[in-house]
Amino acid sequence: MTRPLSHSFRNRLLLSFLIASLAPMIICSTMLSQISRIQMTKQLDTDAQTQTAHLMTALDRISDALPGAARALEESRLLPRAFTSREDTQINTALFLATEGSRDLADYSLYDLRGSLRYSTGSVTAGTTLSTRWGVLFAAKNAGGQAVYQAPMDGGKTLLQGAALLKNPQGEPLGYLVMELSEENFQKLFAGKYGSSNEVLILNRYWHPVYASQSGMKEELADSLRGQLLRSGNPGAETEEYRLLIQEHPPTGLYLVLRQPQMFTQSTMKLLHAASFFCVLMGIVISAVLCLPLSRRISQPIGRLLKAFSRLEQDDLDVHVSRDGEDELGQLASGFNHMVLALKANRQELVENQRELNQAQVRMLQAQLNPHFLCNTLDTMKWISKINHVPQVALMSTNLADILRFCISAEEFVPLRREVEVLNRYVEIQKIRLSDQFSFLVSLPEKLETCMVPKMILQPIVENAILHGLEGISDSVIRVEAAQEGEDLLITVTDNGHGLPPDMIGHPYRRESAPTGHHLGLFNVDTILKKHYGERYGLYLDNNPAGSGARVRARLPLRRREEEEC
Amino acid sequence: MKKQILILALLLPLLASCAEKQPEPYPYTPDQDRRLVVYTSHKEEVYTPIIREFEERTGIWVDVVSGGTNELLQRIQQEADAPKADVMFGGGVESLESYQDCFSPYICREAAGISEQFQSESGCWTPFSALPVVLVYNTKLVAPESLTSWKDLESPAFRGKIAFADPQISGSSYTALVTRIQTGGGMEDSLTRLCTALDGKQLDSSGAVLTAVADGSALVGITLEETALQHIAAGEDIALVYPSDGTSCVPDGSALVKGAPHGDNARLFLDFTVSTDVQSMVGQRFCRRTVRADIPADPSLPPLSTLNMVSYDVEWASQNRDRLLSEWSFLLGEVPS
Repeated sequence: MTRPLSHSFRNRLLLSFLIASLAPMIICSTMLSQISRIQMTKQLDTDAQTQTAHLMTALDRISDALPGAARALEESRLLPRAFTSREDTQINTALFLATEGSRDLADYSLYDLRGSLRYSTGSVTAGTTLSTRWGVLFAAKNAGGQAVYQAPMDGGKTLLQGAALLKNPQGEPLGYLVMELSEENFQKLFAGKYGSSNEVLILNRYWHPVYASQSGMKEELADSLRGQLLRSGNPGAETEEYRLLIQEHPPTGLYLVLRQPQMFTQSTMKLLHAASFFCVLMGIVISAVLCLPLSRRISQPIGRLLKAFSRLEQDDLDVHVSRDGEDELGQLASGFNHMVLALKANRQELVENQRELNQAQVRMLQAQLNPHFLCNTLDTMKWISKINHVPQVALMSTNLADILRFCISAEEFVPLRREVEVLNRYVEIQKIRLSDQFSFLVSLPEKLETCMVPKMILQPIVENAILHGLEGISDSVIRVEAAQEGEDLLITVTDNGHGLPPDMIGHPYRRESAPTGHHLGLFNVDTILKKHYGERYGLYLDNNPAGSGARVRARLPLRRREEEEC
Repeated sequence: MKKQILILALLLPLLASCAEKQPEPYPYTPDQDRRLVVYTSHKEEVYTPIIREFEERTGIWVDVVSGGTNELLQRIQQEADAPKADVMFGGGVESLESYQDCFSPYICREAAGISEQFQSESGCWTPFSALPVVLVYNTKLVAPESLTSWKDLESPAFRGKIAFADPQISGSSYTALVTRIQTGGGMEDSLTRLCTALDGKQLDSSGAVLTAVADGSALVGITLEETALQHIAAGEDIALVYPSDGTSCVPDGSALVKGAPHGDNARLFLDFTVSTDVQSMVGQRFCRRTVRADIPADPSLPPLSTLNMVSYDVEWASQNRDRLLSEWSFLLGEVPS
């Protein structure tokens, strides 16, 4: 039973199970992960857009607040005094009024044209100066009244400075209004504007960091973004762990960077793959567990059948397949058993027939041994009687020898004419024996002469008539008539003797009623006819309806074929 | 199992496939004519404000590559066929001079305002700040009168207790070495005397000189004025001395790289480094001396004119660098211990 693995029924079954269980699962999980990925990416995009919009609005507050405050101050009549006089509550009031509503956003300070601090909304140390030849005041001076925004290099806690040159109605510069945003200001400004897992980074016009919601991210991310922008022209919107949305805020020149963590990070993908792998493994295990008993249930009966067949091929008819179950395989097994039984019966019958046939042949051979010697002896007798002038002996021995030869000849079927000839020889012998006490008449139409009949079927009938019917009756006549009746040949032997006893009248002899000694000849003839031609044919015995005597009719099919062949 | 593997193999790319986006031109990428690449050996606190201010004033994006002077100069030399840098910002002028093949001469627009002594004859470099060589000592361990000149270093009290950086590594040490030779006594004699005073010991970097003096592992040290002033300002127990037998004041500078991809912007930058605004800041914030004549020097520092200045030949210093250094390392190994 060693077959290549791949051809084994069980393996193919297992393979089918695996394909049926794994293929849909793998396709499903692939599609699901793709779909969820697309959905999540969409969601992330939407979130990023919304949050960026909120953050941009927050930045707008910066760019609105400074020019607004600057205009309000310029309209104040007190403004020129601010840069000439000392500390003055009225000017402070004007500064607080002008910055009302945006002081949570930043500290505001007034610097004179030399860069000395005059007034401030925040708590600042006196004597603070800002260079007017450097940084934000220099830029504000050159911007001619426009607000400018810069990240100071040495601003301490200040992350972003905005400055605007203040002028009197005649257009002469008076001083500077400076807004300063600290980390706390930015945190307050952006609070609740972006998702908790996201981070915000503010870059200046040249992508140097200004503020980061996560302190560690500030230098590192800003440097890498700037490096990528300058070296490859694109900071790259996505890494394996984060997605970035970068947008410019034109009024301040600042850039807003929103960093979102990737939904599908490397580790998530790993987890997904691990889960898929586990499912596949489960599929394989379940397939194997389900498939093995089933395949065993199918392959075991088939294996048993196969084994039985190979035993059958080796002529073992005692083979029997045990059946378990009423399914198709069970039916197949019981069918096999029936078939083997039928084959066995058939075989026994065949053996029986063969044995019978062999016995018959042996008997026939034995029967053929002596008659030749008898024939020769009879011939010798014929010649001796001729020499000694005993004509009856010569005739009898001649006839006997002919009959004997006819009997032992190999042919089974003879033309009716020949049968009648032999019958005549027999009758001649009987006439000599019985001293011509009966006459024998044969009526054989010429067209029936060539009909083939089993040899020696008439002699026993005639013998029966002579021995049993004509005893003690003078002028007895035995008639043999052949006639055609439809497709059958009908040979009738009548005599005018005693007739048959009533128990013998009727249809063919049945085997069980066959007499052992008497009428054995009739029985044999009937048997021969039936064996050769079937149950329809045989002898029919009755008494002559037209008077005394018995009538024996032999019915057999009309056949000429062998004559034609000769 | 082959079929499974096949199916898996077919599906995996699906799993892994991410929608690849076609790169679009990024809207915020600055154009090439708004860019500048600066190689700088200055410290971050020196170059950052200058470069940020330059960006704000000109709208030019500056890409900074920082590193050691020699490292960056060698890099510029290697990249000579396809220069990436536009400007070398920092480094003693004799170092710049020795790589003059890599630089294009440029006389900046502010040249008129620069002191005569800091002008480059060839225009190969543009000076940035003046850096006199000074001696430092630990104020707790050394009496001020015991260290006034190069000669005092040869006193047995200081033998082996002098912090001096390897001139092969440190450009300022090399300048100091040349200055020492210029103070007289002949080259070989000067070097031998210094070697003996050092007792064959030298440090790996110029930064280590001040640390060694401050923590007392060395009594005195040889360094530049700017470095010494910074450490004094940081409150360390250090004082500086301008050697009475002569010091030098070699400027550091910047140079325009030959074949610079953004040459115009590079010239703007060189002009900016010597502009009044930047030079004012050099004095105010970086403890350096300005190279401009029209900016008043820091009143807390002695004017250069009051110091005994040796005539420092930059050309000679750069041309004889290899010879001098090999002589130095030979003598250093010869010192009898």
